Amino acid sequence: MRKATTEPASIRALLIGIAFLWLALIIFLPLVAVFSQAFAKGWSYFVAALVEPDAWASIKLTLITAAIVVPFNSVFGMAAAWAITKHEFRGRQLLINLIDLPFSVSPVVAGLMFVLLFGANGWFGPFLMAHGIRIMFAVPAIVIATSFVTFPFVARELIPLMTAQGRAEEEAALTLGAGGFQTFWHVTLPNIRWGLLYGVLLTNARAMGEFGAVSVVSGHIRGLTNTMPLHVEVLYNEYDFTAAFAVASLLAGLALVTLGVKALLEWRYADQLSASGH
Amino acid sequence: MTITIDQITKTFDTSSALNGVSLEIADGSFVALLGPSGSGKTTLLRIIAGLETADSGHILFGGEDVTDRSVQDRRIGFVFQHYALFRHMTVAENIAFGLTVMKGKARPKKAAIAERVQELLDLVQLPDLGKRFPSQLSGGQRQRVALARALARDPAILLLDEPFGALDAKVRRELRVALREIHDRVGLTSIFVTHDREEAFALADKVAILSQGKIEQYDTPKQVEQNPATPFVHDFVI
Repeated sequence: MRKATTEPASIRALLIGIAFLWLALIIFLPLVAVFSQAFAKGWSYFVAALVEPDAWASIKLTLITAAIVVPFNSVFGMAAAWAITKHEFRGRQLLINLIDLPFSVSPVVAGLMFVLLFGANGWFGPFLMAHGIRIMFAVPAIVIATSFVTFPFVARELIPLMTAQGRAEEEAALTLGAGGFQTFWHVTLPNIRWGLLYGVLLTNARAMGEFGAVSVVSGHIRGLTNTMPLHVEVLYNEYDFTAAFAVASLLAGLALVTLGVKALLEWRYADQLSASGH
Repeated sequence: MTITIDQITKTFDTSSALNGVSLEIADGSFVALLGPSGSGKTTLLRIIAGLETADSGHILFGGEDVTDRSVQDRRIGFVFQHYALFRHMTVAENIAFGLTVMKGKARPKKAAIAERVQELLDLVQLPDLGKRFPSQLSGGQRQRVALARALARDPAILLLDEPFGALDAKVRRELRVALREIHDRVGLTSIFVTHDREEAFALADKVAILSQGKIEQYDTPKQVEQNPATPFVHDFVI
């Protein structure tokens, strides 16, 4: 018997076919192209392109940036989502809009904002210069710009989830004598862990891949302030396509690993996921 | 434990305000807060629990002023309309929660907690469901678990917010009887909120009827039926 919600087989095949074709064209083919270009001159050239000192420095810088930004934004994203969903206060809507700001502002503009704040002629420039603190065209600026661009991911992931879950379980914990931190640790955190994980993975992917904002504030000093995306651009502009794609493929590989970890965790904890009703 | 509600006032931007509500609830009694939605009955219950603070007025437990005491320190049990069970914990872990979060020396040993959990599971007549997750239980079973969880720390006062609101009629009646039995056996002072007249009258020793943030009448079900104090009570009850 045919279900009322099911289309005829021909239409189903057509729709699935279109979806697959589109995916292949937009996602799969480019990915294949990146990896095939990367290995165009063989394995040894690929490895040489990655261990070349400037490339190696860019890889390290990208990992350091992500290692600072991801925990930082996870904590602040969680705090923001918690404040917004579990409390009523004046300016709540404003805070929600502010969290979205980095999504609506072009990354280049975001970078320029930090130049205006911390650059030599910026608001805090003279003060920083006088105290010998270097932010612009150095690691701090890269970290700040990346934090700005990736701030919404965790909060945006958690706000709808925590709104849907409401406050009842937290209130129940309080009536059972749990303190604020115990309530967070034993009740709130377990309830949001999957959303949080997803937000963290998105943050990580974007933190490693961010180009625009970092490009403005980094100063493009090879081997010092070039992250992986910036280094890819440098190599590409110098017509060293194979090396450019080698670094690019590593970046894509990191994204694939991130996705793989997520899929693995979802598979490993499938029973808990269904039991907790997500 | 006697509960004294003294001139509680609370204003909101929207609704459910309270205008100087006073009630005296005798030790060991079972009282229903009855009223239409928006009458302020849930707000009053949450203020008694300490989940919300009143603008003015006092709450006393056994003659002791607890107005400024936090919800954790009021030693009450609270049962929510939609159970509010911790969905990632088993039934046993849910019931044990109040004991496992106790600090330092106050926290019972593991074996003692397990024993207490089993005792409570027996009390709410779900002796074999400790290892299940809340999502694997029926609505009536969930509310029984919520009740067991609320009783784990031996509260003297049990507060229930529309405890049967989400259940069907048959389960409602079963649970009603079970709740009254438990109340009498444990020796609690209980307040429950409901908008169901029949439920309030069947279960409670005394009924407080609220309308628009004021108590219209506070008396035994019999008295309310025979001598409704105001036209509102007359309309609402009959």
